[in-house]
Amino acid sequence: MINRRKFLGLSGGAAIAAGLAACTGTSSDSGSTTSTGSKELRLFTYEDNSTIDLLKEQVKKFDTQNGTTTTVDSLPGSGAAVYPDKLRTELLGGKGPDVWRIWGGQIGAPFVKAKQAMDLSTYYQKYGWDSKINPAAVEGMTFDGVKGGMPFIALGIGGWYSKAAFAKAGVTAPPKTYAELEEANAKLLKSGITPLGTGGKYGWHVMRLFEYLLETSAGPDLHDKLLTGDESWDRPEVVTAFTNFKKWQDQKWIPDGAVGLDPAEVELWYVQGKSAYTITGPWTEAQGIQAGGKKSEDFGVFEFPTDHDPLRHSGFVEGYMINAKTGNPDMAAALLDFLNQPETHKALKITASVVAGAEPDQATLPLSYEWAQGPAKKPFYTIQDQAFPKKEADQYFAIQSDVLQGKTSPADAAKKMQDVIKAMKK
Amino acid sequence: MAWVFAAPALLVYVVFLVYPALSSLWFSFTDWDGLSATYNVVGLQNYKDMPHDPVVVQAAINNLIWAVVTVVVPVVLGLTLAVVLNGKVRGKPFLRLIFYTPAVLPLVSVASIWGWLYNPQYGAINAFLRAVGLDSLAQPWLGQDSTALGATMVAAIWLRVGFPMLLYLAALQGISPDLYEAATVDGAGKWQQFWHITMPGLRPAHYVVIALSVIDSFKVFDLIYAMTYGGPGTATQVMGTWMYFNVFQYNQAGYGTAIAVVITLVAVVVSVPYVRSQTKEHAV
Amino acid sequence: MTSVVPTAALPDTIVTTGEKNKPKNQGIGTTIVMVLAALVWISPLVLLVITALRPLSDFVAHGPLSWPGELTVKNFTQAWDIGNFATTYRNSTIVLILKVPLGVFVSAMLAYALAKLRIRFGAAIMYTVFLGLTIPIYITIVPVFVMARSAGITDSLVGLIGPYLAFGIPFEVLVLQSFIRQIPDEIVEAARIDGAGAWRIFLTIVLPLSAPALVTVLILDAVATWNEFLFALILLNSDAHKTIPVGLLNFQGQFSNNSTGLAAGILIAVVPILIAYTFLQRWIVGGLTAGASKG
Repeated sequence: MINRRKFLGLSGGAAIAAGLAACTGTSSDSGSTTSTGSKELRLFTYEDNSTIDLLKEQVKKFDTQNGTTTTVDSLPGSGAAVYPDKLRTELLGGKGPDVWRIWGGQIGAPFVKAKQAMDLSTYYQKYGWDSKINPAAVEGMTFDGVKGGMPFIALGIGGWYSKAAFAKAGVTAPPKTYAELEEANAKLLKSGITPLGTGGKYGWHVMRLFEYLLETSAGPDLHDKLLTGDESWDRPEVVTAFTNFKKWQDQKWIPDGAVGLDPAEVELWYVQGKSAYTITGPWTEAQGIQAGGKKSEDFGVFEFPTDHDPLRHSGFVEGYMINAKTGNPDMAAALLDFLNQPETHKALKITASVVAGAEPDQATLPLSYEWAQGPAKKPFYTIQDQAFPKKEADQYFAIQSDVLQGKTSPADAAKKMQDVIKAMKK
Repeated sequence: MAWVFAAPALLVYVVFLVYPALSSLWFSFTDWDGLSATYNVVGLQNYKDMPHDPVVVQAAINNLIWAVVTVVVPVVLGLTLAVVLNGKVRGKPFLRLIFYTPAVLPLVSVASIWGWLYNPQYGAINAFLRAVGLDSLAQPWLGQDSTALGATMVAAIWLRVGFPMLLYLAALQGISPDLYEAATVDGAGKWQQFWHITMPGLRPAHYVVIALSVIDSFKVFDLIYAMTYGGPGTATQVMGTWMYFNVFQYNQAGYGTAIAVVITLVAVVVSVPYVRSQTKEHAV
Repeated sequence: MTSVVPTAALPDTIVTTGEKNKPKNQGIGTTIVMVLAALVWISPLVLLVITALRPLSDFVAHGPLSWPGELTVKNFTQAWDIGNFATTYRNSTIVLILKVPLGVFVSAMLAYALAKLRIRFGAAIMYTVFLGLTIPIYITIVPVFVMARSAGITDSLVGLIGPYLAFGIPFEVLVLQSFIRQIPDEIVEAARIDGAGAWRIFLTIVLPLSAPALVTVLILDAVATWNEFLFALILLNSDAHKTIPVGLLNFQGQFSNNSTGLAAGILIAVVPILIAYTFLQRWIVGGLTAGASKG
């Protein structure tokens, strides 16, 4: 084994030798921790301009209470793309931020695996996070048994629909069984509208549909075992899921050429009257319906029926991690705990809090409130682009794409998926 | 004396490009995940794995197609535009501006615009085809393996015509007008003048334009990344995007770097005739 | 589909204008064809402009390809704030002014050495420089970040200059050396006999004679610098130091994009470059050197 840091440390030295670098802190990147009594923290996040000021305000409040100075740097952007790259480079090339926000599942996992994020179990005990935070969310921030992060929000995926489109097609109530959903699709299509607006560019959005179909055909137990690789994918339940998946495309229940569409566009179709519903999380109420100048009362939300008990939906977690090399882990943990207080969540206008007492405002966000009161309290399974490492998730999606285009039969797709999982487990 | 002129650029170049590139080169012989503090040296294993990676094979083929199309078409179009816009046309500055404008746009906007145009149900392209009665040609351009690469190449051509146009325009200024006057007196038509004066006069520019375009096409990354994300499936992966996915998204920095090394080697081979032609013309 | 039109149309126009030799009509046919081609070329951009001119709610409610229900210029004022343009404009301009002329100048020096001076290892340098064209930026960012850190210049505009110069040099040197090579040796020789040193020849003969190439390279380099994203993303942290392309990220949320704001932001971002281009292109084709290169 070679120590990477030493190697890159040499790089830094060579640059100085080249006479270009007016060198200030020579050994700053050698991984030494700064003094433990430090009152300075740096928080790195990806919030955009609609929420960043709220966060800065709260962090300031924390600073006043604790006599700390916290810098908040944000790199907004369509999420998983640039932010992890930047974070990674900062951690590799230097000390990195003390605290950073990150998605759970396999996006956050590498940082814990590489031991760049601190094991937070002592702080879980100290602050009682285990009892305060929704356990399913804690699960999403636990990696190979290591509590590598503190969950902050948990977002569940449901069906968001236009009441007008459902009414026009004669669909009186949201479907309660999978058969009813198929019936509704047929009626909607007949009324001249694409039922489900979904787009497969980047893979993940169409994955929402497939993971639902898999939950429906396999049921919770088998589904979980498939995800962990404890059961083979080469089995009838998986073939059924792929067969249904293809059916959705063939029947035109999803848009033509769905795999090439940008989800950021297609997800809004249900607001624009181009599709009847979409498969997404509660953020769509503020950023889809209300941003489009429409009223929440004209839309509704339902849980996709799986015909199983418990009825589960997919979801994902976002949270905060603490740098393993931070100069002041106690203060960083205190900041995390502060950020997870119900009052802080309310001030941050969070609609999918992991702690009780911070539900969305019923008056302004009635649908998110409705979701938070019911489905959000149920267990969920991790969305599958985060259930697998990115590489396997991409292979998974490539198989789905082939199925939708008719290049791979559902039976072959199941076999190929088993190969992917087998190779991953090796 | 020559070194005084060469030194500043070479120094900056070596420190900020050659040196970082070489220190990354090392990782192509390791299994580094791009994140951990430690790694193992694996020798040539990353290189040996490449031919067995179906995506690498597909990416190489895509790169070849991409290279041929996005070199030939923009170069021919750019040359045509340069010649025409160097001649007797009204509104030249304006026309030159328009054909160059796409090259200035940030790629996120290019991806959005073409995504809107290509949208199968609501896009302008299919709407146009349906309007002129060619309904059967309307299709999900970016949503199927068979057309996705072609669709990105059209956008690339749109984007890149300005570059050869600009270089050719500059090169045309080096051709003496006297040559054309003499040819006109001799009764040569415009075509003859183009083939016998313009084309030979542009020979050094051809070398530069073609060499740079070929390298650019091998390096292609951000346009495809923004437009299709390598999809559907892996249908539009090229070496550049596949390297990026491996280095940054699959935690296989060693393997991804090895792909980068291969692209660089290919480019070096491409550069041999170019550098030869340049150094021979001016034998020291 | 649309982009096929100019290919088919253009060669013909050369022929037709060539055959018509009446001085007054000359160029009209070509002009018409070119204007049509230009309209086709610019049409995708119309979408961008329309998007920038409609309210976000209208865009979200009706989709990108609908006819806007109402037009507004509010997006531009909002985009100016969201994109933090007051700051990013200043930062990008500083980088541009520091980097581009310097980069073109040192590249021209190296190009001159390669093309006209007897430099040893000329071919080796050419290969090395050519190699640089293929190096993807993202392969080098970690070492570059480490260097910037040990020099204490992360999160500072100065830290961008080194990598920007280095990644611009290969392209600039290759283009410039090929143009400088075209300058007849006799001119250089004659000056030398007159007693001019290498510097004087470079400054008073080589640079002026290469004006079209210099301006071309200047434009291309300015565009590349103005739009550079990855180094700026990695090396800059605080809002006070961000450049325009990093600031444009402010329009992309985790779950939805502010598309109308982004469109307006992009227009704000590219306008100065387009103005500069319009202004500079006169020097490419202004015929400054037409007489000189006759030799």
